[in-house]
Amino acid sequence: MKVFTFHLMPYASLDMNFMEKYRAAWVVLPNTYYDPKIGHELYNRYLDELELAAELGFDGISVNEHHQNAYGLMPSPVVTAAALARRTKTAKLAILGNAFGLREHPLNLAEEHSMIDNITGGRLISGMVRGIGAEYFSTGNNPAFSHARFQEAHDLVVQAWTRPGPFSFEGKFYHFEYVNTWPRPYQQPHPPIWAPSTGSTETIEWAAHPSRKYTYLQAYSPTQSVMRFLNYYRECAESMYGYTASSDQIGWSTPVYISDTDQKARDEAKPHIEVLFNRLLRLPFEMLFPPGYLSQKSLANMRSHKRSVSGQEHTIDSLIDQGIIVCGSPDTVRKQFTETHRLLGFQNLLCLMQFGTLPRDLTERNIRLFASEVLPALQGLTDKQYAGMQTKAAE
Amino acid sequence: MAENAVIDLRGSKINIWRAGKGETVLFLHGLQGRNDHEPGLEELAKSFEVIAPDHPGFGRSESVDGVDDIKDLSLFYLDLLDALKLDRVHVVGQCIGGWLALELAIYAGQKFKSLSLVNSAGIRVKDVPRGDLFVCSEEDMVRMLFAGNGGAEWMKSIRGAGELEDIYERNRAAAAKYSWSPRLCNPKLDRWLHRVNAPVHIVWGEQNRVLPPAYGEALKKLIPGASHATIANCAHLAHIEQPQKFAQEISQFIRRTGT
Repeated sequence: MKVFTFHLMPYASLDMNFMEKYRAAWVVLPNTYYDPKIGHELYNRYLDELELAAELGFDGISVNEHHQNAYGLMPSPVVTAAALARRTKTAKLAILGNAFGLREHPLNLAEEHSMIDNITGGRLISGMVRGIGAEYFSTGNNPAFSHARFQEAHDLVVQAWTRPGPFSFEGKFYHFEYVNTWPRPYQQPHPPIWAPSTGSTETIEWAAHPSRKYTYLQAYSPTQSVMRFLNYYRECAESMYGYTASSDQIGWSTPVYISDTDQKARDEAKPHIEVLFNRLLRLPFEMLFPPGYLSQKSLANMRSHKRSVSGQEHTIDSLIDQGIIVCGSPDTVRKQFTETHRLLGFQNLLCLMQFGTLPRDLTERNIRLFASEVLPALQGLTDKQYAGMQTKAAE
Repeated sequence: MAENAVIDLRGSKINIWRAGKGETVLFLHGLQGRNDHEPGLEELAKSFEVIAPDHPGFGRSESVDGVDDIKDLSLFYLDLLDALKLDRVHVVGQCIGGWLALELAIYAGQKFKSLSLVNSAGIRVKDVPRGDLFVCSEEDMVRMLFAGNGGAEWMKSIRGAGELEDIYERNRAAAAKYSWSPRLCNPKLDRWLHRVNAPVHIVWGEQNRVLPPAYGEALKKLIPGASHATIANCAHLAHIEQPQKFAQEISQFIRRTGT
């Protein structure tokens, strides 16, 4: 198994009473809550944490994109990935993801990814996402065209990476007379493309298509949903497309916290993880799903699932019980991942080792304990330990 | 007798509500779409033949390929007017329907006997913020759309299971499609408003918080000769909140135009 660590780079010094005045840490939260001096400290600390994970043997480190919010300070993950490119030597750099369709000029983003791939000698993984609903308020993009624009941006970027240029691209949203990417990507035909999602059958069907076979990553979900969607990928490959998906094509992303004992881990993580779920990630339905962002079919599916993650008050106990986070002693955490792998067989795991207000010292210990006590066992897991399809996916 | 009928327009199914007898009034609905029972339209149908299509993607009309913004929609309506053999009609446009009426009048002014613009979108007014109906909760939406009369009942009447739920979501998606960005306006519309040569009456809800009254006043300045009226105890949905006054404003204006 390949094990990555993942950072959101939250504005951890946020006055958490903001919810008395504002509906969310997104879209409407004034940027006067942000202090650049603190931001400077946080960015550098967070980059240190990712670099430490790379040194300690994680297979990769990853960053992502969110706009105009306190939950994650990476409007451009290319900037953070570039900062990490020369500070790491062997770890993969995974941008999970970049919202190519939010850009007026996705080609610029394709060029930037290509630069990072060249500088790192092919260590880039390129995640492609639509961006969450709130992004459409913050960037002005029309959510009613989100799906179509995402598809077209994807097609444009893959062609820009793979087709000899110059050629012209005539789409509905994008029009270019000269597509001729310099530099071409280091990896051929192009960097691996991943599709992170909180659970969308449409995304899974798209990612699993034989012409793509992109790695699907299930994020922020109760165990039930992780099982349902990862199994759906395998089923979809089998029944819809007639091939057997490799376990490399699926992954799970989850917050992780380790301490000496289960109780100590719970006590230490509690305030920080509850801030993540109850403050930073809390989004009203209207911000999460602006009109037209979801198809009618997905909307019905999402209403039940998503409310369970972002629409209710969580406690550390409810998060652990539902399997939304993995928290405990090294032994507990190792066993839980090993068991989930036995059931689902995913060959990619993304661990969020810093969350909410988790401070520097606890984050560093979390990373070190994971690297020494859990990581080696997980990296040894292969399809030999996978029990095969256990349950039929819900749809 | 009011009735809904679906017509086929160049391969797309378009739902049209009709009621009443008399001179023809084409009603162009706003962001919220059109209910089966709109008190203002029923009131208007006592004096006129009212024709109220669901715009493509709204209500029971299909989305139409390539009709993605208000400009496309105005070209689509030229087709629809031809198909319905409507040559010279009075138009009443509410919200984005008013914007649509203005785009149509710029292109094909000869088709319209008069324009009534009720809480109309379409123009920008510097330094007067609009209310954002997309980001707010349903409760805030009611507070923004109504001055205080019947908002909760209205919300209840458009929410529900089955077809209602489906229509509610389709209306939201279609509203975003046509008006998300630039929000509720064509930044260059004012450049062409001199082409509007039919008589224009501007009607505004005094408590409109989606498009504050300054938008109505600005529109009046941009359209020479336009008359202007304000309805008290009324916000954005004048035809629902003050149906009598809404119908009265329009009937009196149409009579004044002397047709």
